[in-house]
Amino acid sequence: MKDMDKLLAELAEDAASVRPAPHPYWLGLKLAAAGLAYLALLLAASGFRADLAAAASHPLYLAELTVLALIFFATALSGALLAFPDLHQKRMLALAPAGMFALLWLVILLAWQADHPPAPLPVHSYQCTLSIAGVALPPAMWTLLALRRYASTHYYWTGGVAVLSAFSLGALWLRLHEVNDSIRHVIEWHYLPMIAAGMLGVWLGKLLLRW
Amino acid sequence: MAENPDLEGLMRRALAGDKAAYTELLRETARLLRPYFSKRLSFESEVDDLLQETLISIHKARHTYDGHRPYKPWVYAIAKFRLQDFLRVHYADQLRHAQELSGQESDQQDDVTVTGISYESISAEVEKLPEKQAAIVRLLHHDGYTAREVAEKLGMSESAVKVAAHRAYKILRQTLER
Repeated sequence: MKDMDKLLAELAEDAASVRPAPHPYWLGLKLAAAGLAYLALLLAASGFRADLAAAASHPLYLAELTVLALIFFATALSGALLAFPDLHQKRMLALAPAGMFALLWLVILLAWQADHPPAPLPVHSYQCTLSIAGVALPPAMWTLLALRRYASTHYYWTGGVAVLSAFSLGALWLRLHEVNDSIRHVIEWHYLPMIAAGMLGVWLGKLLLRW
Repeated sequence: MAENPDLEGLMRRALAGDKAAYTELLRETARLLRPYFSKRLSFESEVDDLLQETLISIHKARHTYDGHRPYKPWVYAIAKFRLQDFLRVHYADQLRHAQELSGQESDQQDDVTVTGISYESISAEVEKLPEKQAAIVRLLHHDGYTAREVAEKLGMSESAVKVAAHRAYKILRQTLER
């Protein structure tokens, strides 16, 4: 290692004026706006579910959509905060997705209890997971690449949250597109794979966000 | 120098390209972090290495600080991050050395700290060894330290010293047999 004074001189020599990173609220908003534009494009291309008006009359379906949207916004904001070494000193806000997921499980629980008689299972199964993963891939990549420009000291969490954000967008798209009311199917092929994807994101975070 | 320098102000000036302010900020930061690392690491050389690594990280991440929130939480977050990284690597190294040692146990029939050749007769060859191995052989056979004492002196585990010594002997044996 070099001598301390020499190091300080070298660092000071390299200290040209730098543009500070945007505020994490602004960064989170930009990520969310990009995600929403992408969702709008997807829905324009794939279309809404044919029975959307009828489905929207079920409060639990609306609650599920709302919570998914909240998860998306919360993870976008949390990812932006986690990209800063000190979480921009807003630690509690960075934990917001945990609350949103708790809310999602509550909604799922209520939907499960209300599912009498059980809605028929759709004929497909893993295709939903693949669709969500395919749709989530671009936002996952652009979010991770955007967050790479900062300096996360929690790169595992940042990666996980970034991928969850993308998957929540994918799940939101599928719930708006697919004609399906089986809560069992949704848990099994939409939400549980989403958790698995979050774990994959933890690994991706280590791979892409380490500095 | 002021008792409590305005670190936030210094950082704001540094971000605007003021090199003098930046030097002062880094110097103050080093002063701030040294006791933090000293409390957590055993050797001064490790503290110095980690301190310099942390200053480089602060330099790389300085765009993530805007000068409008407290500086210390930001800088300690980076310091903690680098410390954890350092400890992770340190313990992984120790584990690897231990595994290597257990793998070599069957090969080690002789006492690795005792050889039949005098240090003086091979000192020229010892100096050609990698720096750490040379230091270990010198301390063991010239200065008369035990493996445990060498380990303490160099901040290594005793088993790592033995493994390094064993490797050094292997190299020396090959060189001397030629």
